[in-house]
Order: sequence, then structure tokens, then C-alpha cells
Amino acid sequence: MREIVPSGTHIDFLGRRHIAIAVSLAVLAAGVLAGAIQGVKFGIDFVGGTEMAVRFDPGVDVDESALRNVVGRCGVDEPSVVRYGDDVERKEFLIKFKGAEAGEVPDCPLTETDRAELAEKAEKQGGDAGNLESAHIISRIQRGIRNDVGEYETLRVDFVGPRVGSELTEAGVQAMTIAVLLILAYIAFRFSSRFAPGAVVALVHDVGITCAVFVIFGLEFDLRVLAALLAILGYSLNDTIIIYDRIRENMEIRTKYDLLDVLNRSVNQTLSRTLLTSVTTLAAVLCLLFLGGEVIRPFALAMAIGIVVGTYSSTFIAAPTLLFLETRFGDSPDAKAAAAKRKKEKDRERAA
Amino acid sequence: MSGLGWRLGAVLATVALFSFLTAANFIDEETRLASPVLPDDGLRLGLDLQGGIHRVVGVKLEEAELQELVFLKDALLEEADEDPQLSVSNAVVENGVLVVSPRDDGAGVKSWADDSRSLSLVSEEAGRLEYTLEDQVRQDVRERGMEQVLEVLRLRIADPIQGIPDSVVTRQGDDRVLVQVPGGQIDRDRLDDLLEVTGFLEFKIVQDLADNEKLLNDRYPTGLPPGTKIVSEQDPEDDRKLTAYLLPEEPDLTGDFLTDARVAFDRQQRPIVSFSFNSEGARRFGELTGANINEQLAIVLDDRVYSAPAIRSRIGARGQIEGRFTTEEARDLAVVLRSGSLPIPVVIEEERTVGPALGQDSITRGYRASILGLIVIIGFVVGYYRLSGGYASLALAANLVMLMGIMSLFEATLTMPGIAGIVLTVGMAVDANVIIFERIREELRSGKAPRAAIATGYNKTFWTIMDANITTFITALVLFEFGTGPIQGFAVTLAVGIVTSVFSALVLTRLMFSVHPGTQPVEQLSI
Repeated sequence: MREIVPSGTHIDFLGRRHIAIAVSLAVLAAGVLAGAIQGVKFGIDFVGGTEMAVRFDPGVDVDESALRNVVGRCGVDEPSVVRYGDDVERKEFLIKFKGAEAGEVPDCPLTETDRAELAEKAEKQGGDAGNLESAHIISRIQRGIRNDVGEYETLRVDFVGPRVGSELTEAGVQAMTIAVLLILAYIAFRFSSRFAPGAVVALVHDVGITCAVFVIFGLEFDLRVLAALLAILGYSLNDTIIIYDRIRENMEIRTKYDLLDVLNRSVNQTLSRTLLTSVTTLAAVLCLLFLGGEVIRPFALAMAIGIVVGTYSSTFIAAPTLLFLETRFGDSPDAKAAAAKRKKEKDRERAA
Repeated sequence: MSGLGWRLGAVLATVALFSFLTAANFIDEETRLASPVLPDDGLRLGLDLQGGIHRVVGVKLEEAELQELVFLKDALLEEADEDPQLSVSNAVVENGVLVVSPRDDGAGVKSWADDSRSLSLVSEEAGRLEYTLEDQVRQDVRERGMEQVLEVLRLRIADPIQGIPDSVVTRQGDDRVLVQVPGGQIDRDRLDDLLEVTGFLEFKIVQDLADNEKLLNDRYPTGLPPGTKIVSEQDPEDDRKLTAYLLPEEPDLTGDFLTDARVAFDRQQRPIVSFSFNSEGARRFGELTGANINEQLAIVLDDRVYSAPAIRSRIGARGQIEGRFTTEEARDLAVVLRSGSLPIPVVIEEERTVGPALGQDSITRGYRASILGLIVIIGFVVGYYRLSGGYASLALAANLVMLMGIMSLFEATLTMPGIAGIVLTVGMAVDANVIIFERIREELRSGKAPRAAIATGYNKTFWTIMDANITTFITALVLFEFGTGPIQGFAVTLAVGIVTSVFSALVLTRLMFSVHPGTQPVEQLSI
């Protein structure tokens, strides 16, 4: 029998909970700080805008500055042109811009009269000129690139209007909240209500830390990352529930027990499972990260971070929360002892 | 047959059925349709995998409400002309409200508005009554507007005979239309034209023309003659303006009377669009052309002159539009004319276009990632749990096959995030077996006999595994309910994957243990 965790291993995880909580809080604080200083990057899914990925024909000698020129000339907001994909040989570029403002453009492939016309048309349609122009300007930029740089193939075009963007944000927040509430209800139903907060604290912790890492490294949030965050909710819960299940079982076996010991014992007993599952899931996700290509990369990256954090939190966050709640409000022997102690202290205070 | 035999048979049959459904996807369509055994449909590829255009079009329903208000305003003014009881000095639609200025105390206007059952009074001042649409009427107008837009766009894009194959036009929410065109059948610009062109066709007699707008304007130093405006002809190739025309503002005839429009070719084999009128249209067209022989007739679509041929003789039921277009453009113009004009303007709110090259790329990469992930995991599990790990790996393979089989059965759409869901399922599927095996090991360590250890292992972990998977299933459901396209694709595979992985981990591997070691006494369990 091969063992990654030798049987009989007994590590005092709970004893180190204060360090772990300090580390988690530090990462979260760093995330908030980084967000305050450098801002949070949201992809076009949430704030609206346009992204175009192009792949030039192998024969084309791509002049990056000419490419930037074409895009810049079109009077679009916050244009950016970056290399795309992992293969430099393939000459792939990602062109991004927020929107387009009517008027004030010197010599985009779009002529003055075209612009005036578009602006007029936009006016007639209720004034979202930026919206209308973005959809059209993609074609103008494409024509411009073909003229100035060379033949290429459009890999993808994503355009999200401002209205859709804000709706997606709303739906995302709603989905997260509902998922958390449903999970809370399920755990409260299956375990005891005192178990649920710990699981939810761990969930919020995992999503929070993953977000913090994204913010700290200036990575962009988009729909794919949101999907990953929701998948992390599910995964993190898996871990927590398995440990909780063992805690409950161990609590049932012993009528008189030291809660701290039960928690440590449970975490240790499930340790090899926790590690093994994390390793296999992480292996699969890393395959996606390195082989899955550009489209799936943000998802895989968020998942990978989430798996590591989720594994850590089920041990260092979920169990300590349970310990805290049980000693504070629970009906276990040592909870009662702690309550009695608190009462005695209070009485003494009152007497004094 | 023994109980084990039945169970084995049932499980094998299930796995075989789904393997068959999965395998059927790899056979090309022709063979599938011809064969009576093979299913006609299977797994569908999302637009992100096969390439295509996904667009969400917002319908400006406020515009429809305005149109209704203008219609009511016109009706009011018309009636006021005839009915002395109804005294109105002015009525205009401004900022989305109908403002009526009555000459008297407004009682006549109020009773007219009540009779119309369409208007509700929002504000009243001396000599100024403001109306908006009644809520129910507003609802009806919006609903009718959506239906009209859907019908026109369906005719243009998703018509079963004339439209683009496999394209979809569906309603999304209150005021949006989802348009999906798979594959590289049409490029973005052409779709733009089909979607956004209003398709309002007008016939006008040319009053004057010049090479460009400036020259034409110079001819009328005191301003254009009343009731006329300047409209240009553009080269569709580079949008250069070719000729400026002075045309009457009101059309002499509109495209409402068209019965058909199709592509034809002139003597030089250049594409033209020929159209025919219904009897009423033919009569009017005959009168118009008969009265204006040797004049030029401008054919104007959405305020743009397509051609302005000189009228040589009286023309009746049929006419044609010449222009500088390609066959494709002529075809699209014919489609637009046939479908009628779009009653309400639309605007593109979201677009996700994936080129066929990226789609193919995504399939290859997704496939590679899944295979490598599978190999790594199997290697790891077999290395760690030996024979039992082998069982788990077999169950994992069966799990994948069943996952694809169920998705094929329901004709689900496989997307790139869906592939991610599969890879994630593969990673997490082993989890249940790891939990069981770890438990069996614990039981063995505590001195239980192997067969008893297996039984306890499965029994004690059952609810743990169910709990863990049910909660993940909840997240998958939430993802499906609140997500859009790509996220839903992920949610579908995740949800199906959870069901199949629970089945394969709890039922399949247990069955394997029942077959081997089965009832034989076993000294050392390979775990």
C-alpha cells in the first residue's frame, strides 16, 4: 500500500489556525489595497466594449506600429493592441477598445460624411452613438488593417453593449448570492445549522482569495472567470463537506470528547483524500491551462487558484469556524464548560 | 440468473447504450441519416467550436410607442378638422409624450381621449394636456412590435427555404432578439445589412441632380424648393458618393405593394433585382411612370439612392433595380425587399463571432487537454491504488462515455466551456473513488477482512459522496439558470457529469469489486 500521508499521522492543524487566519486576512487585505490603488480590471463582458482577435497570414510581415495606427486613427476609446496566444510564429493579435465617440476623427477608414451619417442615424435611434458605432467600426477597422498591414483571418469578435454589460454584472452577483444561499440551506438541512456558517465562511473565503489574487496580479475578470468562481464554490464545498462529515461521525462515536482533538483527528483522517483529489483535479485543470488555448485560459487559471485555496480553506478556515461556533454557542461538553466559564466570569465581574 | 448477474447485465447494457450514442457522433451525417439504427441527431457543436456569429439585437420598442402616439395624434387632428366639438389648436409628440393644446377648456379633447381607450392623462395645465399611452396599450404595442420584428428578421435570416441554413432567430426577454448563424456562411458585414437595414423602399421622381451635394446646393442659393431634399447615390464598394439627387420628401410610391423580389441578370450579366407589384401597386406604378415619361425615377432604399433610371415608357406590374452590386448584395437586397421593412429600428447590443479557424483550434486543444488530463489521472490513480485504481480508471472512462452519450441523447450543445466542464468532471470524478478507497484502507488497517472492509467503505461513504455532489449540482443549476450561452454550456456538462460520475463511482466500481474478488476469499486486497 502506497501512502502519501502515512497512517497515524497527527498534525496539529487547528493549533495553527491563528497563523492561517492571519495569512488569509493578509491576502484579502492586499487584494483590497491593490484594488484601491491600481483598480480592478473588468473585461468587456461586464463593462462593455469590443475585442477582436486576428491572425495574420504567414506571409504577412506584421508591422505592429502600423496596426496600432489603424486602430488609433479610428477614434475609439482606450484602444489597445497586444500579441495574443502563446505562439509568436502565429502572428496573432488582440485588439480591444471600449467604444467609439462620434465626430473628431481625422482620417480613420471611416470618412467624415460616414461619421456624420452614423451620428445622425444614432441620434434617430435614441442616442447611443457609441453602441451603434462600435458595431460598425469593427468593419472599418478590419478594412483599414487589410489596406495598411495585410491579409488576415478574424479569429473572433466580441462586442458587448453597455446595457448588456451591466445586466451581465447583475446576473453574476445574483447567481453567486443564490448559489450561496441554497448551499447554506442544504447544509443546514443535512448537518446542523452550526455547520452551515463554517462552510459559507470557507466559500466566501475561497472566492474572496481567488478574486484577491486576480486583483493583485492585475488579471481581468470576465464571464469565464465568473464561471470558474462558481465552479470553485462547488469544489470548495466538496472539500468542506467531506471533512464535516467526518467530524460529525467522530462526534457521534465519542460521547465525551475534546472538540479540538476531534477536529484535528478528522482533518488528519481525511488528509490523504484531500490531497489526492486536489492533485487529480489540479492535474486536469493544469492540462487545460497549458494546452486548452487562449479561450479557456482565464477559466483554467481561476480554477487552479481556487483549487489550491479551496483545499487550504477546508482545513484551516472551515474547521476553525466550526470550533469557534461550537465553543461559543454549541451544546457539546466543552462548549458547555466554556459557557459556564464565561458565566462565572460575568458573575464575578458583577460581584466586583 | 443470480442477483449479481442481473445487475451486471443492466449496468453493461446502460454503458453499452451510451457508448453507442457517443460513437454515433463520429459517423458522418449522411451515413447516420441513411441508417435506420443510428440516431439522426447527436451532440451539437456550439458556435464557439464550429465558428459562427451570435448576436443579440435590441429592439427599440420606445420607437414603436412613439409611432403609436404619432398615429393617435394624427387621428386627433383629423377628427378635430371635422368635428367642431373637438377644438384643438395644436398637438405634437415631444419627449415621448403627446402634448395637446385645446382652444377651449379641453373637455372635448378629454372625452375624445377617454373614447380612444389608449391614452392616459399625465399632466394638465391651462391650455396644455399631456398624454402617454395607457399601460395595457403600451404592452400591446410592444408585444406587437416584437412580433413584427421577429417575423421580418426570420424571413430575412432563418427562413427555412430562402434563409441561411441552420440559423436561428429567437426572442430573448422583452425587447431582444437572438440571432445565431453557424459556420462561415455569411460575413459580419452582410449580416449587418440583413439585420439593421430598415428596408424601406421608395420610388421618387428626380427633380434635379448634380455630381455632388455641394454643387446641387449651390444651384438653390435661397434654399431647396419646399418639400424636397437631397439624397445621394453611393458606391457600395468604398461608400464614395457618386451623385446627389434632389427628390421630393414624400414618396410617390413605397415598397408596401411589392409581392416578390428576386435576383436577375441584365444583358451584360450584371446582377439586378427584379420585383413585382400587386394589382394596386401595379396600377399606381403605371400611373406614375405613364405621367413621367423621360423623367428619371429614383429607387430609394433607406434614404439611399440605388439607381435612377430614365423612364422610357409606362411600366406596370414589374420593375427592376440596377445598381453596382455583386450577386450576393443583390440577393440580400431581394431578401430585404421580400421580407418587407423593419417597422421598428434595431441596434446590435452584443456580438460574439468566432472564426472557423479558432473553432477548429479550440476543438483540437480541448481534445488534447482532455486526453492528457485523463492519462495523467489514470496513471496517478493506478500507481497509487493498484488494481482498485484500475477499476476506478475503468469507471472513469465509462463515466466519460456516458457523459457524452447523455449529451448526445438530449442533443445538447457542446461548447468550449463545456469541454472545460468535462475536464473538470474528469478531475473531480475520481474524488468519490478516492473517498471510498481511503475508507476501505482505514477499515483494513483497523483489522477488518477485505470483503467486509469493502462493504463498510461503500456504506459509510455513501452520504458523504451524495452531499458533496448534490451541493455541486446546486451550483450547476444556478449557473444554468443565470448564465448566458457559454456559462450554460459549462453548467450542462457539469450537471450531467455529476450524475454520471456518481453512478460510475458508486455503482460501477462496486460491481467490479463484486465480480473480483467477489465471493472468493481474498488475503490481500490490491488497494
